[in-house]
Amino acid sequence: MMRITFAKVLQGAKISPKHLLIASRNQSGEVKKPEKIEVFIDNKSVMVEPGTTVLQAAAMVGVEIPRFCYHERLAVAGNCRMCLVEVEKSPKPVAACAMPVMKGWHIKTDSEMTKKAREGIMEFLLVNHPLDCPICDQGGECDLQDQSMAFGSDRSRFTDNDFSGKRAVEDKDIGPLIKTIMTRCIHCTRCIRFASEIAGVDDLGTTGRGNDMQVGTYIEKMFMSELSGNVIDLCPVGALTSKPYSFTARPWEIRKVDSIDVLDAVGSNIVVSTRTGEVMRIMPRVNEEINEEWLADKSRFSYDGLKRQRLVTPMIRDNKGELKPVDWEAALLTVAKVVKNAGSKIGAVAGGFADAEQLIAVKDLLNTLGSEALCTEHTFPLDGSGTDLRSSYLLNNRIAGAEEADVVLLVGTNPRFEAPLLNARLRKGWVHNELEVASIGPKVDLTYDHDHLGDDPQVLQQLINGQHEFSKKLRSAKKPLIIVGSETLERSDGAAILSAVQTLAASTSVENKDWKVLNVLHKIASQVAALDIGYTPGVDKIREGNLKVLFLLGADDGAIEKSDLPPDCFVIYQGHHGDHGASIADAILPGAAYTEKQATYVNTEGRAQQTLVAVSPPGRAREDWKIIRALSEIVGAKLPYDKLNEIRDRLEEVAPHLTRYGSAEGANYFKQAEQLAKKSKSQLDCTPIDVKVKELQDYFMTDSISRASPTMAKCVQAVLKQKQSKYCD
Amino acid sequence: MARYFGLDRIFTFLNTIKEAGGIRASLYKLYRMDNLRPGQLVGTDKYGNKYYQNPSYFYGRNRWIEYAPYYGMEYDGSQVPAEWYGWLHYKTDLTPDQDPSRPKYKWMLDHTENLSGTPGQYMPYSTTRPKIEPWIPGRK
Repeated sequence: MMRITFAKVLQGAKISPKHLLIASRNQSGEVKKPEKIEVFIDNKSVMVEPGTTVLQAAAMVGVEIPRFCYHERLAVAGNCRMCLVEVEKSPKPVAACAMPVMKGWHIKTDSEMTKKAREGIMEFLLVNHPLDCPICDQGGECDLQDQSMAFGSDRSRFTDNDFSGKRAVEDKDIGPLIKTIMTRCIHCTRCIRFASEIAGVDDLGTTGRGNDMQVGTYIEKMFMSELSGNVIDLCPVGALTSKPYSFTARPWEIRKVDSIDVLDAVGSNIVVSTRTGEVMRIMPRVNEEINEEWLADKSRFSYDGLKRQRLVTPMIRDNKGELKPVDWEAALLTVAKVVKNAGSKIGAVAGGFADAEQLIAVKDLLNTLGSEALCTEHTFPLDGSGTDLRSSYLLNNRIAGAEEADVVLLVGTNPRFEAPLLNARLRKGWVHNELEVASIGPKVDLTYDHDHLGDDPQVLQQLINGQHEFSKKLRSAKKPLIIVGSETLERSDGAAILSAVQTLAASTSVENKDWKVLNVLHKIASQVAALDIGYTPGVDKIREGNLKVLFLLGADDGAIEKSDLPPDCFVIYQGHHGDHGASIADAILPGAAYTEKQATYVNTEGRAQQTLVAVSPPGRAREDWKIIRALSEIVGAKLPYDKLNEIRDRLEEVAPHLTRYGSAEGANYFKQAEQLAKKSKSQLDCTPIDVKVKELQDYFMTDSISRASPTMAKCVQAVLKQKQSKYCD
Repeated sequence: MARYFGLDRIFTFLNTIKEAGGIRASLYKLYRMDNLRPGQLVGTDKYGNKYYQNPSYFYGRNRWIEYAPYYGMEYDGSQVPAEWYGWLHYKTDLTPDQDPSRPKYKWMLDHTENLSGTPGQYMPYSTTRPKIEPWIPGRK
């Protein structure tokens, strides 16, 4: 399963102790970084480190060698043979992806022999590949199509025109997300390697050999992974395509807009593909610091939820108690009247999809009206330094940093489903970097081995005191990480847990000063921005405030019920989906979803990123901050910004990092936070630490968008069905 | 004599005005139909449209319709019912009441004018799914 190739070991970048042991048999003492060697690619000289493959060396001088099976982030397989190149004095062409260069090699990527080798390989591939490009979903973005144009022969020797002999393979059913047309498969095994190396679900494999080889799951079963959608991107041909996207659009008729995903707090970079004002699909965009080139299934496939259960027109509850559609003028006038009458008895609750612009506009409006009751739906301990010190609520060491860690302690979190891409990083560390993981909380499958230290919060105390056997490992670790789930901090003893974790983090011995041990993993996209702007975590203020007007900014998780509010409280829901929040509202102001607005989101690392407008908001829905701005004018407390740039200037005034898109603003003062937290009187409970999302079926539907998505509902059904299968382990 | 001096035209003119029902009515008819012609009333349909003919005009102009007064200025060709259409367009010289061979069944529909551009117009329903399905309050 964990093939670490000779080439990778020689690269020397991440050599695990196990491999060092092998390496040190020959050389005693420390491993010296070897000198660079010179090779020639098409007579161009290039200096490379020993162990570099021919393909990588060629890439350094800008020569791209065609390939199907080779992928940078996967182990080298070397079975497609497309990357054959001629090496001088070698009798046979060599596979560039797997062959490390030797000193003084002359590699010819454009010679007669190379061309002939490529043409031959291409011919063999096409002999058994159906000519169904016109009805193939990969058509237009297919590696095989492109490469057969660029490197294939210009004439065909294929004479089987009566279609008697092409290989035909039965399609597999691997779930509601991935459509398989296995006849198109060229056996590159990228999907198999992805499943076993990155997703950690060793379901895919090959059966048979030669012409009878098949890629599949051996027995019919679902590909049960939260990262399964990535095999669609990986597949160089149309063998694995997206089921929800099948036959809906062609790549050349699509408009692509770069954006940010908000369905978890990771903030993956995405490309939203649209056509005729509709989101057709969502694909990942490369960002090495966040999602590499992967994307979690919920982020990738829940886009059909953006087309259902939408709020498309303002609504007001009439005297019969029914929500009736009205136009903006009537809605704003009614709401403004109520807001004016409420005076300072007005509050707001920010939900998971609220963007920074909306948050600041609402905060400015309510502060002008004399209210401080601005809360987030998800709570956070306020004892000690509370949210004053950013370091106590950020994933301080960044997502990419998780790869380098040597010991990770997970406290009350299930990163596999709360932040699948962070979990992929942890798994990467576990595979390549001998990372040791321990978890406190419910026993869950993280796709890699980990010590389960139980679900008793008292384990934290034992770790601090050094009574626990794991504490030795944690203390001696050079790059330890403690990742605390935000859900655990919502417990009644959240403050004590945070304090304990801070103490534990301080007790580790880290040499590198930039290495930050304490990390908080959030589950929702808006939380960090809301806390940065100055929202109070938790809805206690709303419950106690005896409010007359309450704004729900997309708050759909049910933190506030109608029964928590005084009976005459007027609830205004601003958001894009009709869900829990809209059903208790007295007035609904339809906002834009994340694909429909240019808005700022801050991910769990504290990295500000902006979404861009891919499609326009449906019906009468408008960008959220503009609604608040319009309302403020009618209320008589006009907010001083009319344009996006102006409101962003205001954001910058409050917190400058909110507009520094792409960079994560670090935080510090760990010691001070720890000392302040010690003053808290909160004690660790005995109730076991739990997380809501434990298994795959819980993962798919967690927020208003994914709850409205038929694809996500199908996924849940499919997983539940698969779990009942007798082949399920 | 009068014909020699062209005075018969004056008589015709005065007669036309008289037939139209006075100077006011003549001016209104002129405004509404853009011409004023003397003619013999051939028949009236159930909607109140009147059909005239005057053989002294040349073919093509010698049969005409005066739409029922309640149409005002909003008259158009589709308001001519099918039974009069043939006479008006010289398909037949027999008016509906003179023609016994016309079919008459109980199931024959009443004539309707063209309703395009009015609330009564025909609208085919869409068979494509809506791009956005709105939330309907009170429904899970």
